[in-house]
Amino acid sequence: MISVTPKNLSEHNVKLDLNNLTPEQVALEIKNLDLYYGDKQALQDISMSIPKGQVTAFIGPSGCGKSTLLRCINRMNDLVDICKITGQINLHGENIYDRHTDVAALRRKVGMVFQRPNPFPKSIYENVVYGLRITGENNRRVLDEAVETSLRSAALWNEVKDRLHESALGLSGGQQQRLVIARAIAIQPEVLLLDEPTSALDPISTLTIEELINDLKKQFTVVIVTHNMQQAARVSDQTAFMYMGDLIEYSDTNTLFTTPTKKKTEDYITGRYG
Amino acid sequence: MAIASKSANSRKVKNSLAKWMITLGGISVLFTLVLIFMYLLYVIKPIFESAKVDAKAQFVIKEESKVLATGVDELKEVAYSITKQGNIDFYQLVDGGGYKAGEKILSQKLVADGERLAQLINIGQEQKLLLDTAGNVQLIVPNFSANFDSGERVIIPSVRYPLGEEYLPIDEDNAGLTKLSFAMDDEKAIFVGFTQDKRLIKTTLLAEDDFSYDTAYEVEYQEIDYAAKRIDNILVTPDLAMVFVREGDQVAVFSLDDDAELKATIIPQLAQNKSTPNHITSMALLSGGSSILLGDDSGKVSQWFEVATEQGREFKKIRSFNVSDNEPVVAIYTEQFRKSFYTETPSGEMGMFYTTSEADLWRGKLHQGDAQAFAIAPRADGLVIFSKNELAIFTVENEHPEVTWQALWQEVWYEGYPEPEFIWQSTSGSDDFEAKFSLVPISFGTIKAAMYAMMFAVPIALTAAIYTAYFMTPGLRRKVKPTIELMEALPTVILGFLAGLWLAPIIEIYLPAICLLLVFIPSSVFITAFAWHKLPREYKTKIPETWAPIILIPAILIAAYAAFALSPVLELHLFGGDVRQYITNDLGIDFDQRNALVVGIAMGFAVIPTIFSMAEDAIFSVPKHLTSGSLALGATQWQTLIKVVLLTASPGIFSAVMMGLGRAVGETMIVLMATGNTPILDWSIFQGMRTLAANIAVEMPESEVGSSHYRILFLAAFVLFVFTFVFNTLAEFVRQRLREKYSSL
Repeated sequence: MISVTPKNLSEHNVKLDLNNLTPEQVALEIKNLDLYYGDKQALQDISMSIPKGQVTAFIGPSGCGKSTLLRCINRMNDLVDICKITGQINLHGENIYDRHTDVAALRRKVGMVFQRPNPFPKSIYENVVYGLRITGENNRRVLDEAVETSLRSAALWNEVKDRLHESALGLSGGQQQRLVIARAIAIQPEVLLLDEPTSALDPISTLTIEELINDLKKQFTVVIVTHNMQQAARVSDQTAFMYMGDLIEYSDTNTLFTTPTKKKTEDYITGRYG
Repeated sequence: MAIASKSANSRKVKNSLAKWMITLGGISVLFTLVLIFMYLLYVIKPIFESAKVDAKAQFVIKEESKVLATGVDELKEVAYSITKQGNIDFYQLVDGGGYKAGEKILSQKLVADGERLAQLINIGQEQKLLLDTAGNVQLIVPNFSANFDSGERVIIPSVRYPLGEEYLPIDEDNAGLTKLSFAMDDEKAIFVGFTQDKRLIKTTLLAEDDFSYDTAYEVEYQEIDYAAKRIDNILVTPDLAMVFVREGDQVAVFSLDDDAELKATIIPQLAQNKSTPNHITSMALLSGGSSILLGDDSGKVSQWFEVATEQGREFKKIRSFNVSDNEPVVAIYTEQFRKSFYTETPSGEMGMFYTTSEADLWRGKLHQGDAQAFAIAPRADGLVIFSKNELAIFTVENEHPEVTWQALWQEVWYEGYPEPEFIWQSTSGSDDFEAKFSLVPISFGTIKAAMYAMMFAVPIALTAAIYTAYFMTPGLRRKVKPTIELMEALPTVILGFLAGLWLAPIIEIYLPAICLLLVFIPSSVFITAFAWHKLPREYKTKIPETWAPIILIPAILIAAYAAFALSPVLELHLFGGDVRQYITNDLGIDFDQRNALVVGIAMGFAVIPTIFSMAEDAIFSVPKHLTSGSLALGATQWQTLIKVVLLTASPGIFSAVMMGLGRAVGETMIVLMATGNTPILDWSIFQGMRTLAANIAVEMPESEVGSSHYRILFLAAFVLFVFTFVFNTLAEFVRQRLREKYSSL
């Protein structure tokens, strides 16, 4: 058994009953979600509620569908032609898969950070304000303010404040990932999806990002997919374990890691596969 | 162990073999390129070399009296002198034919016994008019024929009398002549002279048959109405059209038709110097007979010819040459076939010039101011100078006087043109033609053709590349991309042939339709796209989204049909039934059937695959995580395309466009067949052009190896090389900069 000490357990003494959340506590509600890649079913009947203002982690072995599920939340799977989705995901009680949904508007509410840092080949400043510019915001003062706030929130301001107009490609990997986070939060999303945000980074950068995630949940609902169980244990409040497209177990992180109720979960967290 | 070492050995051998083969291949490619470059330069170099005059031989020859004229045969083996005594003496210049160099071969008396020559007038380089003291006039031509009887070439000199050996009756009244000039063709010989009793007379000998084989003639006398005390020069043009009569500082020009009217009077504005007023000191007719050269005592030579002006044709000073700072120009000698001339000052300083290129070719001193006769060799490759008791032969190296940097790239005032212009006209039917070698029109044509091709190709190729790389499904992309790339394999000769013979007439006939197409097709695409966007979802879902663009095909076909159907109607009601007539007559725009529009379409078609293929690769290779990143921030597909994809792909797109441009600049067959090859400077879409590449292809087969024309074609090739080199270097440079800036992870 891996010894795991969820450090944020002490901070959040209020345990949420994930099966009976009040509507105010829910950020996202996933209901009977099935997803097919062509003929192959990649997600099977997923139902879960993601609480507001908390960090929820999806863990599971490779190919279990955790990233796919994450990408369903901001409809990034739309880009895959052969992908077909049934069921619903409700944000503010509205199904995001409704045909009237404005996908671009949805993605502004549900931001996303990818596995590899992907700053655009522009300056640091332009990277951060990208999301604002595409909505037509060109007021210099508003942009300047957004850059400072977001970079501060992403714990990057002090490192880059003197070279905002230099290329973002000159930053280190960890800095680039924090820049991408700043870029995502500059447009004030409600939910922030992190898809294995530290898997391409060194341990020091990973630590910085993890500390950042802890701060971010004060403002945003964070959903993180991770390969790394320690990371899930360190940063998340709730953890969902997925296996072969099924949601096996979903509970608060401490419970899941210390007293898993399912055999598969226990096998995974004790390192028997994955 | 043994096996291992053996395989290690053979691996080593293979390794070094591969290394050497690759190195050798690379070096030989570079070497070949350098070699091509060197060869081009080697062929071009002579046209920029300056002229050289070297002494070849000198012979001490004592003539008993003053030498009036000299000359040499084509091969510079026999020279002659005509003395005041009326003798013509031929001298061998090289050992051969049984004579030593410097020996006299033949001496012949040209005047009656007891007579001597009063005057000798050089007409061109061959003909000599002899005037004896008794007033007899005779025309002779020193003649040289080659004989091979003894097994080696022997030049046999003789004297020919083109108008018969009899005395020529120039003046009806038999007064003596002070000045005389003459020109003839097969049918007519015209003499213009000034008599001692101050009459300007014109005497025409009309051949009874043809002067080239029968010297019989009839005489017509005429007096030209002109009062003068003294005449300094008379020059009859070789085409028997005009005569220039100089009296002091003014030149009267008479036409030589039946009336012999005064056409014009040339009064040059001479630079006036306070102490001594300047005067005209010499006059000569430039080869071709349409320009005269006037030398004055301030050391300047000016060229004059007739140009069309608003007031009709008039003689204008075209350019002037500074021959000497302090000495007058006492003599001007012109070459027979080229626009070169030599000048001489009293001290014996000589200069060599070329009018068209305004080239100051050579200066030097060939004698001590004691020259009695000067002649240019028939092939313009030598000079003969007879001084008091010396015959000197010089070789002249002056193969390409007509080419200078200025003549190639700047406006030149050619004979007969109203103003300086950029003209490429390398050959003509006439011998005394002034070759016009301006590279400006053909370089311009190259750029014009490339620009029109790019205007057609770039929007289509780039939008196609964007659509294929960014919006198309992978399955369809796998089919579409190779199909477009296959277009590149189409031989351009077929495209050129179709453009010239099929497309050009269609465009000419359906011009309104083609113009309507340019408007209808893009607008039909936009209207269809907008309609599709507004269509209720129920209908949209009937066609899979990836196949939706198919609906554009009928829309475009309908637009094309509408354009062609509307064309006659439009033509009838707006353009009076014929657009071509309308454009030419009402708008005053010249219309060529093979024009920039045809070339733009045909060459654009050839360039599209090049640009498409590279641009598509560049757009397709924009990392997916960048597009996802943009989409995840709430950007639409279009915003992502414009703000992220095109930006990131910009180095590749730029290279693609530059490669296309390079291809369009170097393209030969299409422009050769579809441009009409008219070397004109005009941006008009309805005018043709001639490009560097097509010019080389058209003219290289007819140009004489080693001639100026030949070398200039090589220069054109070099310019083309420089064009593509500059485009590619610029493209590479910009691409590197863009890549540094926008290259993604």
